[in-house]
Amino acid sequence: MRKRSLARRILVSIAVVVVACVLGALAVFLGAFENSVVDTSLEPLVTDDGHASPARPMSDDEIAALAPRGRYLAAAADCAACHTGPGGAPWAGGRAFEMPFGTLYATNISPDPTYGIGGWSRADFHRALRDGVGKGGRHLYPAMPYVSYRNLTAADVDALYAFLMTQAPMAVPNRADSFPFPYVRRFMTFWNLINLPRTVAADDRSKAPAWNRGRYLVDALGHCGECHTPRDFTMGMIRDRYLEGALIEGVDAPDITPAGLARLGFSEEGLARFLPAGLGPQGVVSFSMYDVVHHSTRYLTGDDVAAMAAYLVDGALPVATAPVPIAADVAASGRQHYVELCSACHGLAGEGIPHVAPAMATNADLRLPDARNLLVAVVDGLPARAFPGRERMQAMPAFADLLADGEIADLANYLRATWGGTAPDVTADAVSEIRRAERP
Amino acid sequence: MTLPARPLSLTVNGKAVGPIDVPDEMMMLDVLHEYLGLTGPRMGCGQGICHACTVILDEPGGPREIRTCITGAHYFAGRAIRTVEGHAERGADGRVVRLSPVQQAFIEHFAFQCGYCTPGFVTAATILVERLARQPVARADVEGVIEAALAPHICRCTGYVRYYEAVRAVVLATPGLVVG
Repeated sequence: MRKRSLARRILVSIAVVVVACVLGALAVFLGAFENSVVDTSLEPLVTDDGHASPARPMSDDEIAALAPRGRYLAAAADCAACHTGPGGAPWAGGRAFEMPFGTLYATNISPDPTYGIGGWSRADFHRALRDGVGKGGRHLYPAMPYVSYRNLTAADVDALYAFLMTQAPMAVPNRADSFPFPYVRRFMTFWNLINLPRTVAADDRSKAPAWNRGRYLVDALGHCGECHTPRDFTMGMIRDRYLEGALIEGVDAPDITPAGLARLGFSEEGLARFLPAGLGPQGVVSFSMYDVVHHSTRYLTGDDVAAMAAYLVDGALPVATAPVPIAADVAASGRQHYVELCSACHGLAGEGIPHVAPAMATNADLRLPDARNLLVAVVDGLPARAFPGRERMQAMPAFADLLADGEIADLANYLRATWGGTAPDVTADAVSEIRRAERP
Repeated sequence: MTLPARPLSLTVNGKAVGPIDVPDEMMMLDVLHEYLGLTGPRMGCGQGICHACTVILDEPGGPREIRTCITGAHYFAGRAIRTVEGHAERGADGRVVRLSPVQQAFIEHFAFQCGYCTPGFVTAATILVERLARQPVARADVEGVIEAALAPHICRCTGYVRYYEAVRAVVLATPGLVVG
């Protein structure tokens, strides 16, 4: 008798837990825990930063007045890198994001009423950028960096809205994603519950205003963390490893914490010069970071890049490198390949040639803990690039067919040990893996 | 001052060359010009852009183009190359008997003017013709593969069209290069 009632009690408890879980999940699914940081009260109240509630439509005069500032902010937020596809119409979307379960495409954010956001209210726009919920309650995928944009001020979102509404409408349909089933979007409520901070970061009063401005530019507008922060199994940014670097599109987005930047040889002043120029003694921006310079950092004011550098470097001093020991036969082989295939452009002493090829002796790529980016550059080569101020760098040939795996490993180890001060730990197998890996 | 040097042996235009003492850090173009008297491959930009310095590197996988102004001489140790001097048929006395089909076509099409870039274009076109002999191309793709083969080469006089037309004429006239 007693046993039966105990069993029954256990069963009932389990049932209660299951029902509670189901109800809880249902509540999450239906958005009960969704947390908006957008003030949508219908009162024309003025918020802290002096802006009216987004529930009130913006007048044409207000749009015209705000648009120029919005243009600058759109550059700082690097909207174009994704929303103007390669060779595509301005703001008509198109950039592809290869995800493990399909391909996503950036959407049309021109003010076209049918295909773009022409029919979006100011409040719709605020909620999309800061809550990740588009017009009509449709959830955005976090390829749109709303986790970072959540920290944008309402005033800046207004300016971005005003700018986009003054652009030419582009009647370009959005490309459908290739996800195997269309229900993922609805489950973004769960993702947001785990990965979307509930509150907005406040200024750190212990730091200088420039530092706080830099943090806003880096964390919110520039959304640097989206590429430079490792992600967990839910594909959310791992908060306590913020900016510590991540593998993205087959290459490493480096660690850009103060310690990481110091290791790469950046001082605060050096980084403030490098960000808008795209090159410097540390080398040349490559891979997706080139787009960031091309669409964004080159347009920033001197004060703003200085603020970003102040926040990112945070007082750290660049680390001097010293050659590390390397086996004599590896050094001899690596040196020989360098002289034969690299030195004509990068210089026998690693000094580089201005406007042709960057210096190797101070190159940040050789200072990265992992040799991946160096190996990708050697195997694939790099395209010719134009930089601000009529600066340019020539194409780097691919050496995949000119050197065997072991030879590329020797070359990489010689470069790392000699100029990077990093461990000569590259193996032929690692090179072979780089050769086989898929890259966009 | 003596530059550190070591012996280099390679095959140039079908003949064994060396061992000759070549400075460790010398580029191949300088060896061709200064040691071997082969001045066909030209020094243009010296940075690997203009492709006036290219020669054919014969490898087990087939011939490939290589820029001698940015490639060290010792990379070629034990390897075989062909410079523009090695393309024409020569008689027993070493004199040219017949130009290669590519060279002949360039002349017939008035493809070059100053001629500085010509050795590079001969090299690229010859490699293309030899590749198509092994792997013929569909008729519809002929123009595309010619463009791709010549694209890296820079010419400042005649503007590419005549080179392009000459190579197309050779590709279409040589049996076995085009299918369909």
